[in-house]
Amino acid sequence: MTNLIWLIPILPLLGFLINGIGNKNVPRSVSGWIASLSVLGSFIISIGAFGTLMADPNVVIKADYFEWLSAGSFTLDFGFLVDRLSIVMLLVITGVGFLIHVYSIGYMHEEEDYARYFAYLNLFVFFMLLLVLGSSYVLMFVGWEGVGLCSYLLIGFWFKNNAYNDAAKKAFIMNRIGDLGFLLGMFLIFQTFGSLEYDTVFAGARQMTFDQPVLTAITLLLFVGAMGKSAQIPLYTWLPDAMAGPTPVSALIHAATMVTAGIYMVVRSNVLYVMAPFSSEIVAFVGLLTALMAGLIGLKQNDIKKVLAYSTVSQLGFMFVALGVGDYTTALFHVVTHAFFKALLFLCAGSVIHAMGGEQDIRKMGGLKKALPVTHLTFLIGTLAIAGAPPFAGFFSKDEILAGAWTHSYLIFGILAISAILTAVYMFRLYYLTFHGEFRGSKHQQEHLHESPISMTIPLMVLAVLSTVGGFLGMPEIFHMPHFLNNFLEPVTGWADLYAHGHASHTFEYTLIGSSMVLLIVIIYLVYNKYVKDAHVPKADHLVTGFQNVLANKFYVDEFYNTFITKPLNVLSSFSYNWIEKGFIDRIVNSFGYLTNGASGVLRLVQSGHIGLYIIAMVIAVILMFVFKMII
Amino acid sequence: MNILIALTIIGVIAMLSEILRFRKVLYPLALTGLAAGLVLCAMEWGSNIRYFHDMMFMDNYAIAFSMVLIGTTFIWFLLNPAYLRNHEHEADYTALISFSLAGAVVMVSFADLTMLFLGIEILSIAMYIMAASNKMELRSNESGFKYFMLGAFATGFLLFGIALVYGVTGTFNLQELAGFVSANKVNLPAMFYGGLLLMIVGLAFKISAAPFHFWAPDVYEGAPTPVTAYMATVVKTAAFAAFLRLFMTCFSGIADWWAPMLAIFSAISMLAGNILAVYQKSLKRMLAYSSISHAGYMLMAIVAMNQNSDGALLLYTAAYAIGSLSIFTLLVSMTTNGNEMINSLRGFSSVNKIPAILITITMLSLAGIPPVAGFFAKYYVFLSAIESGYTWLVLVGVLSSLIGVYYYFRIIIAMFQPADRESTQIQFSNSQNAVLWLTVILSLILGFMPGFLTGSI
Repeated sequence: MTNLIWLIPILPLLGFLINGIGNKNVPRSVSGWIASLSVLGSFIISIGAFGTLMADPNVVIKADYFEWLSAGSFTLDFGFLVDRLSIVMLLVITGVGFLIHVYSIGYMHEEEDYARYFAYLNLFVFFMLLLVLGSSYVLMFVGWEGVGLCSYLLIGFWFKNNAYNDAAKKAFIMNRIGDLGFLLGMFLIFQTFGSLEYDTVFAGARQMTFDQPVLTAITLLLFVGAMGKSAQIPLYTWLPDAMAGPTPVSALIHAATMVTAGIYMVVRSNVLYVMAPFSSEIVAFVGLLTALMAGLIGLKQNDIKKVLAYSTVSQLGFMFVALGVGDYTTALFHVVTHAFFKALLFLCAGSVIHAMGGEQDIRKMGGLKKALPVTHLTFLIGTLAIAGAPPFAGFFSKDEILAGAWTHSYLIFGILAISAILTAVYMFRLYYLTFHGEFRGSKHQQEHLHESPISMTIPLMVLAVLSTVGGFLGMPEIFHMPHFLNNFLEPVTGWADLYAHGHASHTFEYTLIGSSMVLLIVIIYLVYNKYVKDAHVPKADHLVTGFQNVLANKFYVDEFYNTFITKPLNVLSSFSYNWIEKGFIDRIVNSFGYLTNGASGVLRLVQSGHIGLYIIAMVIAVILMFVFKMII
Repeated sequence: MNILIALTIIGVIAMLSEILRFRKVLYPLALTGLAAGLVLCAMEWGSNIRYFHDMMFMDNYAIAFSMVLIGTTFIWFLLNPAYLRNHEHEADYTALISFSLAGAVVMVSFADLTMLFLGIEILSIAMYIMAASNKMELRSNESGFKYFMLGAFATGFLLFGIALVYGVTGTFNLQELAGFVSANKVNLPAMFYGGLLLMIVGLAFKISAAPFHFWAPDVYEGAPTPVTAYMATVVKTAAFAAFLRLFMTCFSGIADWWAPMLAIFSAISMLAGNILAVYQKSLKRMLAYSSISHAGYMLMAIVAMNQNSDGALLLYTAAYAIGSLSIFTLLVSMTTNGNEMINSLRGFSSVNKIPAILITITMLSLAGIPPVAGFFAKYYVFLSAIESGYTWLVLVGVLSSLIGVYYYFRIIIAMFQPADRESTQIQFSNSQNAVLWLTVILSLILGFMPGFLTGSI
């Protein structure tokens, strides 16, 4: 299997080429399956590689394929690295990716541009796999840019709607700001370590002392990249807008995989971050702020996908807190469980939207549990998982993040706990408003309510099972079970663990688990009372006042960016265009153009067609050569 | 070595096909033969065998360039089925092309000056005939005649140069020559330098570098378009490979003496070729001038004369041949309509949407825009020139390639403009469409992994 790893990204690429080039010539019944099976193929190979890696903790599959570029002493190899970190990501990307591909076959069946959709989706998987597989920062960056492109293409998939195009552009531009940080970080790494290969860089970093300014700079710059890709403050505003894309896309790209690329990058660079404690503090702080702020905004959103989007931003914040306090495996653990339950929630949302004929406003839903039994049950499992109810997946990973935060700082723990409570509140609000109470939509919608086809419900069920059992990958210490993920990732993060803080005491763990369960029950009860018993429905947008209004308007961050960044930039841009570009640069450039044209007109007269003239010109040249070289 | 025999056999079969009346299967036969030749060539990779008492040396350099030459010819056959098949002289043309390709292979694998001369002549004489092959047309006759006159003139220089060098060193063998040069580096006689200068003149003519380029626009324009395509790709590649092989093996020790002069040739070629191409309204003539400018870029690799030169030249010739084949596919179809003006391309994209995009990609490659092959070809050539200290030459190269962008984009823009009364309908056959796809795929592959070629020899 190990010599097949090059096939892992190539299979989705082939799928992309078939669907992309064939486009509408590919039969509709085939194109979805080509796309799905190519990802399944990658998944099977990944499982094979996983088996190899399981057998021996010292095994790392590294393959250098060819010299990619060389300039002077700088050479860049195109090589893949499959170690215990990348295999976890590979399994999540290809596994969840396959399910979402299958789901898309049903979800997109009425879509005209069927093949184009699957081509983009395959291309995304290809780049995502490249990002994870690369054995150097450069290859990671190629994937990083590639997934950004695919995200752009898929958000704007229905490009006839201009608002969607704007959302796509916003995502792209926000990501570009982050990419600039990533690029500068790469340059600085190259300058410091003379290489961008992981092995060389990390070996070099281990030799350095703590708190080197250059390491702090590198890690902060890389983190700017992560802010963009993983939607952290201040670059998070693109993710909620990205919900303009088809719902499976939101599930795959904007919940399960691409947005976790930033987490992967930090885990991969854990050696660098351990050496730069200041940067780690910043990471934790930004993550914390994002978790809280997105959680607050999530309370007052009424679009089913927007709620989930803010919840994603908030959960990503949780992961960054874990990274900031040095719990790298915990962050990855949450990436995995989050991929399961958030993909599940989004796909359920897709199923709801499908049944509602495109309606996304939860104020117009309600009582859907009878019409959509499978979706209802799986959504409930997803909600319990994300809210942190035992024994669902989210419980274990979130519990571990909170425990890590406790040992690091009580303040971080406190704020994070509040964010966790908010998660439970907005998720159950969403659940009750959607599935319980009276139906509030139109008569027409009510008549057409139906459970989704089997190709959509099977992925839901599989993901629901994963969301239920996924947490057993990492059991807390008090249960006296082996923490599988910690042990598995030991070769990758082992060095960083040497510098990790101590573990939370057992008493604390019991208290945490107990109190969080009690709190959760209280929350569920209160939310139930408000939205089901009292049948409270969120007010229309213009009736909301006070702080609620601030939340409903997402803290006016978009407006703030518009006024203080976009508008001044536009003014500067129009000044540059009208005065500097048109008046100055254009004139210089144009005069060179005129000069060249003129010279061309004169020179061409020499080419008269007379053979004698040509021979004379040659002879003169030969004579000049001899005069200059032999005589003078 | 096997490849030389194979090519000769293809030529002989082509001539027999007329007599034995199996002309109908000649075209597929030739294609199969070339494909087989490509495999034969690849099988010799790394063998480093010397043939005929050290007259030829099949090292990796020779094999790599032979493969480029054969591959180019293969695609050339694909793009010209109409020209070959609808012609009463199909057998003659196929034979001549096969023989000239054999000459080209000799030119990249010689280990002896006599073989160099023979290779050049085998290639050239076939090309003189091919240039004049459109017997009924005056321009074609003129083209062949001019090519022959000036070519013979230049061959005289080359032969005289070889004779003078032989007079000093007493050998034609490249290795012995190299030994002689390094042993007597400080006090080489004037006669040797004289011989060297004359050889440079002869070779500079063959690669159509300024100021020995005057024949190129007239010959390229007058010759039948398929023949022009062959001259711009195969002939040019072979001439450059021969030039570099000779100077790298024998004269790299005294590069300080001759390289500055070639640097000037290179600069003039780039500037003159690009500037003159700007004014042309005929696509064919524009391509002739642009081929002169590309000769200037390729000459840079020879000027640099360091360990990167051969890889850079290999990538450049391959990228240039690939790009040219694509644009010549368009030109061949235009010639069929009898209108070679760039303006007649207006409205092209509305009928041929995909070909227009494909041609655009290869034009970007020729103009040197990433991520296509042409960009990396220029990049590696510039890089090796900088490493040898020719920064000024690279500056000239970069500036003149900006001019190149201008006229290459004129074609792209014309293709995407709406049709007007100058427009003509252009149709591509299946195999021509295949050529367009093939060239784009190859350009992209070389663009994404240029190291595959540059690192190979």
